[in-house]
Amino acid sequence: MAPDPDRLSDLVSRRKFVAATGAAGIAAVAGCSSNSGDDSGGDDTAQPTEAATSSAQETTESTEQSSQLSTDTLTGDGSSTVFPIANTGASYWNSNPEPGDEDYFPQDWADEYDTDMRLADYFATQYGWEETGERSVPPFRISIALSHSGTGVEGVMEERIDIGDASSTAEAELAGSDVSDEELDNFVDHVVGVDGQPIVVSKEIKDAGVTDITIEELRKIYKQEITNWSELGGPDEEILALGRAPGSGTNTAFLVNVMGDAEASISPDQRYGKNQQLQQAVATADNAIAYIALAFVQPDGQVPPIGLEIDGTLYEYGKNLGSKEYPLARDLHCYTWEDTSRQEAAFINFLLSDFGQEFFVEANNYFALPPERLETQREMVAASNYE
Amino acid sequence: MASRIAERFEHYRSRNEDAALVLLAVTALSLVAAFVLFYQQSRWTVVPVASFLLLTVVGWVRYQATIARGLTFVMTVATVAVLGLIVAFLVVRAWPAFDQMGLEALYRTEEPLWKPAKTTPWSLAPMIVGTMVTTAIATAVAAPVGIAGALYISEIASDTTREVVKPGIELMAGIPSITYGFIGFVIVNRFFYEEFQTSTIGNYFTVGAMIGIMALPTIVSVAEDALSTVPEAMKSGALAVGTTNWQTMKSVTLPSAFSGVSAAVLLGVGRAMGETMAATVMIPHTKGFADPVYDVFGGVGETLTTVIAFEGGNATGRHIEGLFAAGVVLFLMVLVLSVTAQVIQARMRSKYGGDR
Repeated sequence: MAPDPDRLSDLVSRRKFVAATGAAGIAAVAGCSSNSGDDSGGDDTAQPTEAATSSAQETTESTEQSSQLSTDTLTGDGSSTVFPIANTGASYWNSNPEPGDEDYFPQDWADEYDTDMRLADYFATQYGWEETGERSVPPFRISIALSHSGTGVEGVMEERIDIGDASSTAEAELAGSDVSDEELDNFVDHVVGVDGQPIVVSKEIKDAGVTDITIEELRKIYKQEITNWSELGGPDEEILALGRAPGSGTNTAFLVNVMGDAEASISPDQRYGKNQQLQQAVATADNAIAYIALAFVQPDGQVPPIGLEIDGTLYEYGKNLGSKEYPLARDLHCYTWEDTSRQEAAFINFLLSDFGQEFFVEANNYFALPPERLETQREMVAASNYE
Repeated sequence: MASRIAERFEHYRSRNEDAALVLLAVTALSLVAAFVLFYQQSRWTVVPVASFLLLTVVGWVRYQATIARGLTFVMTVATVAVLGLIVAFLVVRAWPAFDQMGLEALYRTEEPLWKPAKTTPWSLAPMIVGTMVTTAIATAVAAPVGIAGALYISEIASDTTREVVKPGIELMAGIPSITYGFIGFVIVNRFFYEEFQTSTIGNYFTVGAMIGIMALPTIVSVAEDALSTVPEAMKSGALAVGTTNWQTMKSVTLPSAFSGVSAAVLLGVGRAMGETMAATVMIPHTKGFADPVYDVFGGVGETLTTVIAFEGGNATGRHIEGLFAAGVVLFLMVLVLSVTAQVIQARMRSKYGGDR
């Protein structure tokens, strides 16, 4: 089965082929370079058609002429814990639904805000942008990426991104690096929601009667001072203490809030990088204890929550995990760098609105900010600051 | 020296058109410019890249021989440069960490061991021990199985069997490592936890066994190559004096191919040592020393690769420099293994190379 050289060369000359592919390659590169100005990647919700894109550009130009407000894409990156909030917010914003769209912008909400504008239009006009009036064409686009708290905080500091998502404070994330206090002061902290991680145990342990533990016991478990469930009124089984990766926001928050120091050393028996793996491990094991994101708790399944007692107060799943005193509750931050730009303020205000708190925070199993804190946070980004 | 280079350059020049040489030089320079701009994260990187592609096409059409020769040279330089740049980058990023701890980072055994911070001492020793332990277990699992398989394929199996089995084994090398990791996490780890009551879900033994299985295809195919280079004349000679097939294998084939087979094992072990994904999914990620050190079922478990994969995403400051230091140590360990394997292989070739 030797190839037939004559037939091949009849079909296409090799030189022609090379020339053609080379030209195509250059054309492709040229196409890239002309596109590199507007960053529209990383958005998976709104897929505008060609027509929509071109009209978007026209609208953009006219808005720029009229008010000189930035219409660059607003970018964010960071914690996987904050990601659901920021990303859901961004996709609602980018799709710019009309009032009465029951999935995205129900009529009750439009009535509550007393508007007939589209969702992103309504919130952006408060900050001076003009409404576009079109689906999938917000006044400016928002793109949120997913990495880690530390990456988000650094990205904001190096001004690679506009908003840095973090599930612990920038101070704790940067502990041990070269950042001076003056530089830390440049971070502007916006809290958009609250997370409260319950303590979970293997089903066998809860069934055997361990329904709550004290915080001292929790500390001792993670320092390997208590190693058997019988010391806590459970069965005579070793304790398998599960933790998260060193340096991750969840781990840092646990160190700060439970152990009292971001640099404290704990020695869990096993660490996992993801909530999913942690959930699987707790379900597999019959002697495990772990702290896990709310969405992964199975109250009646293999990953049941137990109560945590602190100074006589019992914190229980479904009751009071969002309260400020609960040590595994933590603020979810959106950091900005050196003040908050008008664009950043418009988006953060969107997350802080009653609509945002219900659709982005509570819908993702986090706790909305209590009214008093919500008020303080909203004042920081109020539209009146930008007039 | 300088005059010789000048002379060679003159020779080269006399054999090529000046225009072609200028074109080649500009092509190479645009590649260098592309690298410099890329390093500075400039958005203009695309300009020299485009000019490189354009000039290559123009050169290919007009001065094909010169450009082809020049391009193959440039590509080789680029490949070697990538290795050099990786090493330089690793060392530069790890330098502050070594500056703080010196070589003590490699053997310190007192607490605190981890994680690297400017004010407290730390150590890579638990991870180095972890890498050695898992690699040793992987070798213990993979070497006997791999050599037996290679011997069967090379000496015993019929041609038909060989034609089916050998590509099959090589196909194993193409299975993504996360697949092995998933099987290890869901089946192997759980089996040991439930049936043998190990204290954690996953330990050095399960990880070592799994990466040993992953090293099998390398060992089988390289060892099989080594066994088949043993000259037929040697085997026929042995058979002629009346030995059985097994006696020939045992006393002639295996000893003659010994260096090649050990090279196969070392290459496989090198792969096992650098294996990351499967191990990261399976290992408990706790740093410390098992007591005694051969307690491979105990609770501690972390290797150089897994610590980098597990913590790299979140690390900042000295922490990430410490992880780069782990990378340097791992690089050196794998380098020593693979150089040894290649030296052995070269020796093997010069000894029996004539039979190909």
